[in-house]
Amino acid sequence: MAQQKVDIAIEDAQGYKVLRPSGDLDVYTVGSLRDAIGSMIDQKTTKVVVDLDGVPFMDSSGLGALMGGVRRLREAGGDLAIACTREQHLKLFTITGFGEGVSIAPTVEEAAKGFKG
Amino acid sequence: MKLSLRRKITGGFALLLILVILLGWVTLSLFGSLRTIQRSIFDEAVPGVVAVDEIVRSYTAQSAAVRGFLIVNQERLLEQYRDEVRQAERWQDAAERLFTGERERDLLAQLIEAGDSYQGLVDDRVIPLASEGRRASAFQVLGSEGASLISEIEFLGSELRAAQDEIVAQTRSDLVARSNQALAILLLVILGALFLGSTVAVALPRRLVANLQRLVDAARAIGRGDFNQKLEIRSGDEVEELARRFGEMQSGLKRLQQLALQDRELEIAASIQRNLLQRTLPTTPGITIVPTQRQANLVGGDWYDVDVAHDALTVVVGDASGKGIGAALMATVVLSVLRAERGLGSNPRRVVERANDALREATDHDSFTTLVYAEVQPDGTARWLNMGHPPPFVIRGAIDVDDRRRGYFAEGPRNRALGWFEDPGLAEVEVKLQPGDRLVLFTDGFLEAKSPEGETFGEPRFADAMIELAQLDAASLGDELTAVVERYAAGKLDDDLTMIVVEYLGAPAEVAAEGRLSGEEQWHSRR
Repeated sequence: MAQQKVDIAIEDAQGYKVLRPSGDLDVYTVGSLRDAIGSMIDQKTTKVVVDLDGVPFMDSSGLGALMGGVRRLREAGGDLAIACTREQHLKLFTITGFGEGVSIAPTVEEAAKGFKG
Repeated sequence: MKLSLRRKITGGFALLLILVILLGWVTLSLFGSLRTIQRSIFDEAVPGVVAVDEIVRSYTAQSAAVRGFLIVNQERLLEQYRDEVRQAERWQDAAERLFTGERERDLLAQLIEAGDSYQGLVDDRVIPLASEGRRASAFQVLGSEGASLISEIEFLGSELRAAQDEIVAQTRSDLVARSNQALAILLLVILGALFLGSTVAVALPRRLVANLQRLVDAARAIGRGDFNQKLEIRSGDEVEELARRFGEMQSGLKRLQQLALQDRELEIAASIQRNLLQRTLPTTPGITIVPTQRQANLVGGDWYDVDVAHDALTVVVGDASGKGIGAALMATVVLSVLRAERGLGSNPRRVVERANDALREATDHDSFTTLVYAEVQPDGTARWLNMGHPPPFVIRGAIDVDDRRRGYFAEGPRNRALGWFEDPGLAEVEVKLQPGDRLVLFTDGFLEAKSPEGETFGEPRFADAMIELAQLDAASLGDELTAVVERYAAGKLDDDLTMIVVEYLGAPAEVAAEGRLSGEEQWHSRR
């Protein structure tokens, strides 16, 4: 599958990093998010909040990458939380059951409070 | 500097031509000045010296002839004297033409004056005295006045000769200096021409060849399948243009290759998906099943499975996350487990549990599958497990007062998608279907289809369209709804659209006994 890029801004916060993708998270672009999370783990950053404020559309591939991120970060001793206010994504989290067991909150700070471990 | 190759080559040749012309011109002008100097020596300085010598010799000869005449008194000697006088005049005329310098002309004038005085002395006094026989007096006059005039003449002659010698010497040294200068200039011009010529002849082709070599290397790399050659050629000529076009061709080839790979992958994924589809659906009395599937451009991971056992109908609609081969293979894993477990007589909970285990085992962190696993009993009881999937839509067969049917998303306890959690939850939803009711299972492709403006089709539009189309028979419903969504997305579907319409006609015994009634219900549904 031809891979396209989604811009992902990385910010430092207290004790964790914030990834802010801007653009659709779908089968074309999801590789960028996966790579960004991978490089976080390589840099020993295991607590990550993904802010979905700049993501107008996310499909099952995007959701899969987020779930994969949760698993990989937890295996590395950290966690992934999600800041999201978009109804469409929240519905997707609810339908698939992804939201259970993952910290999802409207703001980055609130999401970070829900880190496990 | 932007210069085409043709101009560079033409310019190089033009430069060389100019250098050759310059070289020729310098050489010619040098020879010209050398010849000028030579001419001034051989045509002016040397004849000048000769003339002076002849003048002085002539006066000396005149003096000797006059003396001899006075001694031996022979007319022949007087003739010789007059002859020498004419010669002296001739040489004096010649000298006047040859001498141009101020000092030389001055000296020459004095010399001629002295000569005239001497001849005046001889003609006016010495010869008349001799004719009168007064030879002693003539000798005396000649000895006292003539000798001093001859000495003056000899002195002026030597002065003139010295002056001429000086000119010749000066001209000689000029000649040497000019020759050396000419040689130096010639050498410089030759060196300059050689340097420029070799720069043009060596540097230009070398750079050209080097750039062409890089193009050849890049072309070889492409031949090996490496499409990531970076060609930075800034020669400003056709080679730079060629390199730029080469880069464009390379990205075109890369894109083509990607497209070919993608096409191939999609072809494989589509063929896997097609093979998963059941060619013939099992039938059960009292229930009509109509599946519809529209593959997306990218081939999603949609699948469905229909089975009948002990009069109970099993319908499963699933969606593997992602697209292409990965999604298609994941669908294969789930389907195999479902069919195998069902074959072993497992209940739906057990089947779904096993499918979750298999997915957790077999797939990576990022993959998951959502599905609705439904069973419809002959009495119209529909029970399903919703594993992270959009809820089925129920269309009631009864017609409302406003001549419309009612329909709703059959929300209920929902569980989590398969492949993530050890315990995804196994809560069931139960709905009692009446004859004429339809249970519609579908995938999220319908809800997530995007309009060109980027807005998703969504649940409200889906519900409205369902109720709008509910009057169609079960066989057309799925196709029509698919057409509506495709129109909404302007033909560009990123995800598969899969739908199974299950229409409950009634308990088999009732259906058989009240065939007409059932037919009537179907007629209603068609309206």
